[in-house]
Amino acid sequence: MQETYEPKILAFLCNWCAYAGADLAGVSRFQYPPSIRVIRTMCSGRVDPFYVVEGLQNGYDGVFVFG
Amino acid sequence: MESRENVHQLKKSSITKSVGSVLVVGGGIAGTQAALDLANSGFHVYLVEKSAAIGGGMAQLDKTFPTNDCSMCILSPKLVECGRHLNIQLITMADVEKVEGQAGRFTVAVRERPRYIDTEKCIACGICAEKCPKKVDDEFNCDLNKRKSAYVKYPQAVPLKYAIDPETCIYFKGKKGKCKACEKFCPADAVDFDQQDKVHTIEVGSIILAPGFQSFTPDVPPVYGYGTYPNVLTSMEFERILSAAGPYQGHLLRPSDQQTPKKIAWLQCVGSRDLLPGSHGYCSGVCCMYAIKEAVIAKEHAHDDLDTAIFYMDMRTYGKDFERYYERAKNEHGVRFVRARIHSIEPSAQNSDDLKLRYIDEDGTPYDEIFDLVVLSTGLEISDGVRKLSETCGIVLDEDGFAQTGCFSPVATSRPGIFTCGAFAGPKDIPYSVMEASAASAASAALLADARNSLTQPKTYTDEVAVTAQEPRIGVFVCHCGINIGSVVDVPAVRDYSKTLPHVVYVADNLFSCSEDTQHLIQEAINEHNLNRVVVAACTPRTHEPLFQETIREAGLNRYLFELANIRDQNSWVHQAEPQKATEKAKDLVRMAAAKVALQEPLDRLQVPLNHNALVIGGGVAGMSAALNLADQGFHTYLVEQKEELGGHALNIKRTWKDEDAGAHVTEIRRRVLDHVDIEVFTGAKLIDVIGFVGNFTSEVQTNNTVRELNHGVAILATGAESYQPQEYLYGQSERVTCWHDLEDLFTREPERLQQAEAVAFIQCVGSREPDRPYCSKICCTSSVQQAISLKTEKPDLDVYILYRDLRTYGQREELYRKARELGVLFFRYSLEEKPVVEQTTVDAKEKLQITVRDHVLGQPVRFQVDYLNLATAIIPKNSEELAQLFKVPLNEDKFFLEAHMKLRPVDFATDGVFVCGLAHYPKPIEESIAQAQAAAARAANVLAQEFVEVEPIVSEVDQDLCIGCGLCEASCPFGAIHLVKVAGQGYRAENISASCKACGVCAAACPQQAIDMIHFRDRQIVAAIQAGGAG
Amino acid sequence: MPVVKQLLDLAAVGSSRLQLHWVSAAEGQLFADYVTELSDLIGKLGPFKPADFKLELAAAATVLKSTRIRWLIGMDRQITERENVYHEKVDPETYQKLVSQAVVEEYQKGLILEAIGDKPQSVREMADKTGLPVYTVSLRLNDLEKAGQAQFQGFEGTTAKFVLMAA
Repeated sequence: MQETYEPKILAFLCNWCAYAGADLAGVSRFQYPPSIRVIRTMCSGRVDPFYVVEGLQNGYDGVFVFG
Repeated sequence: MESRENVHQLKKSSITKSVGSVLVVGGGIAGTQAALDLANSGFHVYLVEKSAAIGGGMAQLDKTFPTNDCSMCILSPKLVECGRHLNIQLITMADVEKVEGQAGRFTVAVRERPRYIDTEKCIACGICAEKCPKKVDDEFNCDLNKRKSAYVKYPQAVPLKYAIDPETCIYFKGKKGKCKACEKFCPADAVDFDQQDKVHTIEVGSIILAPGFQSFTPDVPPVYGYGTYPNVLTSMEFERILSAAGPYQGHLLRPSDQQTPKKIAWLQCVGSRDLLPGSHGYCSGVCCMYAIKEAVIAKEHAHDDLDTAIFYMDMRTYGKDFERYYERAKNEHGVRFVRARIHSIEPSAQNSDDLKLRYIDEDGTPYDEIFDLVVLSTGLEISDGVRKLSETCGIVLDEDGFAQTGCFSPVATSRPGIFTCGAFAGPKDIPYSVMEASAASAASAALLADARNSLTQPKTYTDEVAVTAQEPRIGVFVCHCGINIGSVVDVPAVRDYSKTLPHVVYVADNLFSCSEDTQHLIQEAINEHNLNRVVVAACTPRTHEPLFQETIREAGLNRYLFELANIRDQNSWVHQAEPQKATEKAKDLVRMAAAKVALQEPLDRLQVPLNHNALVIGGGVAGMSAALNLADQGFHTYLVEQKEELGGHALNIKRTWKDEDAGAHVTEIRRRVLDHVDIEVFTGAKLIDVIGFVGNFTSEVQTNNTVRELNHGVAILATGAESYQPQEYLYGQSERVTCWHDLEDLFTREPERLQQAEAVAFIQCVGSREPDRPYCSKICCTSSVQQAISLKTEKPDLDVYILYRDLRTYGQREELYRKARELGVLFFRYSLEEKPVVEQTTVDAKEKLQITVRDHVLGQPVRFQVDYLNLATAIIPKNSEELAQLFKVPLNEDKFFLEAHMKLRPVDFATDGVFVCGLAHYPKPIEESIAQAQAAAARAANVLAQEFVEVEPIVSEVDQDLCIGCGLCEASCPFGAIHLVKVAGQGYRAENISASCKACGVCAAACPQQAIDMIHFRDRQIVAAIQAGGAG
Repeated sequence: MPVVKQLLDLAAVGSSRLQLHWVSAAEGQLFADYVTELSDLIGKLGPFKPADFKLELAAAATVLKSTRIRWLIGMDRQITERENVYHEKVDPETYQKLVSQAVVEEYQKGLILEAIGDKPQSVREMADKTGLPVYTVSLRLNDLEKAGQAQFQGFEGTTAKFVLMAA
């Protein structure tokens, strides 16, 4: 990790899979960098491709889609 | 709504044989769950609790294993639901005095002690406690700090009403009978010193006893200096120290000097597995896991170096995910595990509060080690009060004082119509208590099926406020979650920041947002500040959204004008070392939630017709029990079994660990299933397809060459498991090496073999607790010990060896272990690194097996010859993947089905209407399989007892003006939930079938015209959240 | 999403700024590992400055909202797994090539549309602004004219200028 720069990343998490996985990471206290800003969708299929561009236009350094 | 009321009227007027209400005694997690399950399936419940508030032992815990969930956080929603349920009547500070009548119709006298506070008037402001001059020990915090005589049991108590303790109150106990400070200052005029005992006479159809356990108190006779040395604590005391609401506000301090300990020891089996007077012979079943959890959490609290050591005899991590938890504690958290019994504890020096522990390790080396703090892992026991309750109810207790139950009727007491659940029927952990609670509710519901809905009332709400035309007025509530959020995220800063956001007109922070008092605060804020949108920044919407939605609905706001910002599970818990960045992230998440909620619209839930049939897959004991209970409750049930015969693995078991004839019971269950008018059995059958959703499933079942289509509202997966076929220990090469029940069968078939045998050995953990299968198969130790006992009993001169890693005869099974040793069964422990070696050999021209194992006490190899070797092989999942795909439900890493929540939803899936029980969930003995099966039936009945399924209105919406009828959505929808319909004059247009829609949004993303949007997850709502998160 | 990745590469944003992975409900550790590893990766790419990619991102957004591309993405499974109206099944590789070609064209059109959004432009000016070869610009401009999205506005001296066509 670079010391000063923490990227800001838009993350789409599917409610049934990845969002639950992320919650599990929480209860298990698996640590990870505070980079992601999460948007919960009911399914990763909901993530319209243009959201990705929308993210890059609005101040994020990257976009994650976890299905 | 109207039609439901008609049904209600109809039922009420008809005379039923049984009474449609149930008495639940004990408001811990078990009693609460039983009450909720019954109240949600058409029965009125009286919940009687002896203390001033429900919550029980679980409310006192800081965290729970194996998920490290915050105990209060997962419990609180259930307590709140229980507290505000229309069909649950809470009677606190009360005891059962008399029970008359019989199953179906009991008359019970309940004596309610005076609270001296009028609960109708009390506003829980706390002024009475503030003004009360009398300080007394706070029993909720294990007497580690003081409370007042006027008190509330704990901050999130349900009901949140103060009480005055007459045993210590100055007015009652003082010489002059004066004081009454509380009465003087109470702004609500709620103090009433004239209250008297009230006796309620209630009529109920059945009774569920869930009085729970008490923690063993190691003071008489004193154990390990408890009561003398201030830094020797019980585990419950240590839980309170870890808790944010505890005596030290969650700071890890020791009592003597309130300094942070650097070295903590846990001593296992205090009061358990011990035949000394005052102690108990049984294993308490939960202490190994809670000690590991406490050590891990203590390390988390300490941040820097904390040395933790657990001194134990056998590490009994036998439950689902327990072994992984143990391994993680050892390898990742660096918790030390020392197999040694502590010989003595004394101060390390004169006037020192540190403690010197003397022990001898496995190799026989003596040690003196100094610790700052010692935690005694005290066991569970039955209190005198509970013994008295049992007498009042006229039920039989076993020799350990637990309610007597049978393996085939795990929640039935000796008196018909009275059921039990939780630690009252044997020491057990929370998930198993919850399962039993649901099972007890299922048993009650089956008994009282004809009286369902006869005494319940439907919930009605005030009209919703019309908000569509209003400017958004958002209230933001930021949760400390004890210290779960507050210790990492600067909660006041997030609260103040929220105030600056567009449309936010009200902000607050709360210690526990999910507690009952916070629900009232939120409702008050909505009314006072005319809020029309609410954001709670706390935990995950997956567990807590329904609670807050209900809260705002009660205050007149539509449920969907709510958003939860997850600043705990996905923030404070995972960025513990970066408080500043976590605070910034929390602000971003709140900003995103506020931006989204501002655009959210009120939505109506959809009511969809419900099919009242059930489908149970798997015809073993679990599947049969689930089917029987559902059918007894009046629901038509299909039972599908792959084999030609019902019965499953239980057919191989001769006797249960409680020495019941397993075969006879299984045969009886099978007969009842086959004879039941409401059960349709399909043997030699396979489920080949499933479509639909809760309330409306359609499955295809293939038998021979015919396929039958079944419609059902719920499904229970009870497909069992199988035993691992080993490669090791000469299995398959020598007929003298067998698995599981094969040796018993061999001796039954050919008794002369046993007669001629001189020695028999058992090897445990074959394929279990291995790196590639890191779980304990739970039932193998008991099975081998049982078999050893029966061999020794039949042929006392036979040498019987059991080679084990940790002997896991948990709970009251410990008695079997003791009996086996008394009979002379020889136990040798081996380690994963040095497994026993088995070779073929001949002794005096007789074919033998030679076993070599390193003995830990002697420190050298021991070699002996046996005639037969029986392997306790791992229990592994069977075809779970196929079924998981059909029902779209998850599996865990070991391919067992993964329930919705390990602790509090042990038989539910996250997918509504699908449930799991038996070995398909995890290896377990018969009584647990049956309890779990009944629990699954209870949860299924919660669905089936309704008239409609309520479907989330989160579905796709087609803008018919933009739609060109291309049909891409229909082609892309995985659920068949969108199709083209002919519209006059327009050709084809897409139309959503709301009930089938799973809200995945694939159609919206696929629509070339962007004519489809997802309600509640609209493009503009998501884009608003994207933009809000990126700004700042 | 492969289309988005392709677009990010075309826009010189770099497709690695978009990461797609599967995490199940039981995989808490995997989730934490992904976020750690991928945050590091994004961190190494350095901060993303949207102002430097204004034209490109706008063009990409136009592409992703365009009917043609949404059709092609939506028809993917229909055509590769089932069959089209002529009962033909297209093999996935051919189909991907087709889509990918379409994305390139649409993206170029998107760039041109963005370029002429402010004021009338000549072909050469457009080429400078978009970084596309002059020949490509004229081809795409031709397409845009046919589709009624751009039109010839008039001469400025001897240079032809084009503008957006009002919707």
